[in-house]
Amino acid sequence: MTSIVDDDGPAAGPPPGAAPGPSTSGSPTPPAGIVVRGLRRSFGSVHALDGVDLQARAGAVTALVGPNGSGKTTLLLVLAGLLVPDSGDVRIGGFDPVADGRSARARTGWMPDTFGTWDSLTSREVLLTFAAAYRIPPAQARTRVDELLATVHLTEFADRPASVLSRGQKQRLGLARALVHSPDVLLLDEPASGLDPRSRVDLRLLLRRLADEGRTVLVSSHVLSELEEMADDAVFLSRGRTVSSSVDSSGPAPRTWHLRALALDAATAWLTSVGMTWRPDDDSLTPPRPVPGGVLLELDGDESAARLLRDAVAAGVPVLSFAPATGLLEQAYLALDEERT
Amino acid sequence: MTRTEPVGLDHPADPVDDAAPPPVGRAGTWGLTWHGVRTVAVLDLRQRVRSTRWIVALVVWFVVVGGITLLTTGALSEFGSADRSPNSGPILFAAVTALVLGLGLLVTPTLSSTAVNGDRNAGTLATLQVTLLTPAEIATGKLLAAWSAACAFLVTSLPFLVLALTMGGTPAQALVRVVLLVALLLLAVCGVGLGFSALVARTAGSTVLAFITVAAVTVLTPILFGLTYAATTTVEQVTVWGTQNGYGQVGSSDTCEVFTAERGLTHTERTWWLLGINPFVVVADGAGTAELAPGVEGNPLSVIRDGVRELRAGPAPMLDECWNGTSTPVEIRDDLRKDVSTAPVWPWGLGANLLLGVAGFVVAVRRLRIPQRNLARGTRVA
Repeated sequence: MTSIVDDDGPAAGPPPGAAPGPSTSGSPTPPAGIVVRGLRRSFGSVHALDGVDLQARAGAVTALVGPNGSGKTTLLLVLAGLLVPDSGDVRIGGFDPVADGRSARARTGWMPDTFGTWDSLTSREVLLTFAAAYRIPPAQARTRVDELLATVHLTEFADRPASVLSRGQKQRLGLARALVHSPDVLLLDEPASGLDPRSRVDLRLLLRRLADEGRTVLVSSHVLSELEEMADDAVFLSRGRTVSSSVDSSGPAPRTWHLRALALDAATAWLTSVGMTWRPDDDSLTPPRPVPGGVLLELDGDESAARLLRDAVAAGVPVLSFAPATGLLEQAYLALDEERT
Repeated sequence: MTRTEPVGLDHPADPVDDAAPPPVGRAGTWGLTWHGVRTVAVLDLRQRVRSTRWIVALVVWFVVVGGITLLTTGALSEFGSADRSPNSGPILFAAVTALVLGLGLLVTPTLSSTAVNGDRNAGTLATLQVTLLTPAEIATGKLLAAWSAACAFLVTSLPFLVLALTMGGTPAQALVRVVLLVALLLLAVCGVGLGFSALVARTAGSTVLAFITVAAVTVLTPILFGLTYAATTTVEQVTVWGTQNGYGQVGSSDTCEVFTAERGLTHTERTWWLLGINPFVVVADGAGTAELAPGVEGNPLSVIRDGVRELRAGPAPMLDECWNGTSTPVEIRDDLRKDVSTAPVWPWGLGANLLLGVAGFVVAVRRLRIPQRNLARGTRVA
């Protein structure tokens, strides 16, 4: 009797919030997500992947970051079950894409960087074709496709040929295509390219929601600020190797901040008076004038940033904005680039 | 204690969650379901019908075949007005058959020779490969789509075959047999094109290779037969029925007798198969025209058939060189006549063509398997 009451308590509590998804469906199935160990793959003499280790958690968005030619696309092809790795171990939702390809593919949604469409087919037909290819019963497929078209805001283009779609709309259709069979694991190769700002926001919210439902989302992108807003984890890839697989945002790392003031000369005068070193944000050599402008500052840790802002405002500096000049991901990425060169 | 139970409630939900993805069988490379094949075939056909000038192509085809048919009819009635009734029907039927087969062989390679590499270049193949479709389903669907397109051309030419049939001299059964044989030969060509499209990265390359294969089977085989004709000719001791001193002249007084002499014999029984695999020979041999209408002479299809069957038999056991009118004794008549078998040639020819098609299909299926180990030079997977 009491157990029933107890049942209601925790069961009724979490659902209203969107968050419990991972905690309820993610935790009972430990091997979910993507696990990669010592992955190597070369094309002739080119080592596209040269020792990749990564883990993408279920219920989280993992960013895959790296310069051009660092092996991101090759890695995603291996994960999607299209390429045999030379060595290493891959598990997609607990399945090996080489040994048990069908089981892995049934759970994987892959969106390639270049999504070709059958230009003469309508968006609806494209999605229905893929639903059929994933063996979804027709009646179920129709509702699923309508749902997806609404999700990616292509309902009004549903019955027009894909050739009239813009690049961004095609990209959205490609995303819907990857989602058609409700995959547990999503592999997205540059999903944001070609998207307008509104669609980017939609994409971010959608990926967030999918992750909250307990799915594994692995996103590669060059738009680091985008990734930063949606990613929980990050994996850095350089020359076919995972360089680091986390962004250290906890410690007081030195970081560049951007300060904009209504009167730039007042701001620089105050900064100089408190002994801060600053540099103009536009590389101009003209001395600061009493016009709106910005400077860049090197600060170690959020603590000192907060202190600086408080002092500046207290000192009467007309501050317009004060924010980190670069995202954490970008900073980590650039640091990576420095290591490399 | 009671707290653990609600957590346990999640477990019954798990199997339901696992059942949500579509049931996945252990179907490997060669797994084949009608559902999967139809999905790919419908996809391919939709694209083809909408993105190409499909109706225009069929209309052009109809006009070309119709025009040549009518011109042939006109020519036949012009020249052969005297004996028009027995011959013009079969000749027209043979002409339309050859035309439809010839044009079919010309058009069909393009229908499947870009099926795989074209999709790969457009970036649509890999997205299809990662679904639960098996490689065999993708290949079969594409083959079916290409074959359906080829058959559309064949169906468009049906009225003219029927027209030739109504002119008499050709059994109705021949129409059915010709259409079936042409359809199967075009299926083989589709298979060859599909194989090359999976093998070669560039669409232009695969199309050229498919054309070369078709040309080799159709044009190169008779040429090779002609070129090897001399090579198969050997000088041998043979029994001859004729006059000893020189060839028996017409009206000469020498009497014909049986003797042994050296003569050059052409062993076409060693090379006849070069003609046998020719699609035109396959159709002519399989059309079954003459034995069903014995009164008709000069039927081109029957001439080709009988010619190839005679070449298959090789030289007769005894050479007939007696042209001076001596009546042939009964006891050697059988030796002079070649023992021409009536066993059909077309099953072998059709079999050889279909074997090429099957080889192409198998190559395509094997090349569609994922995950891929090797990549062709210059290709991207996606």
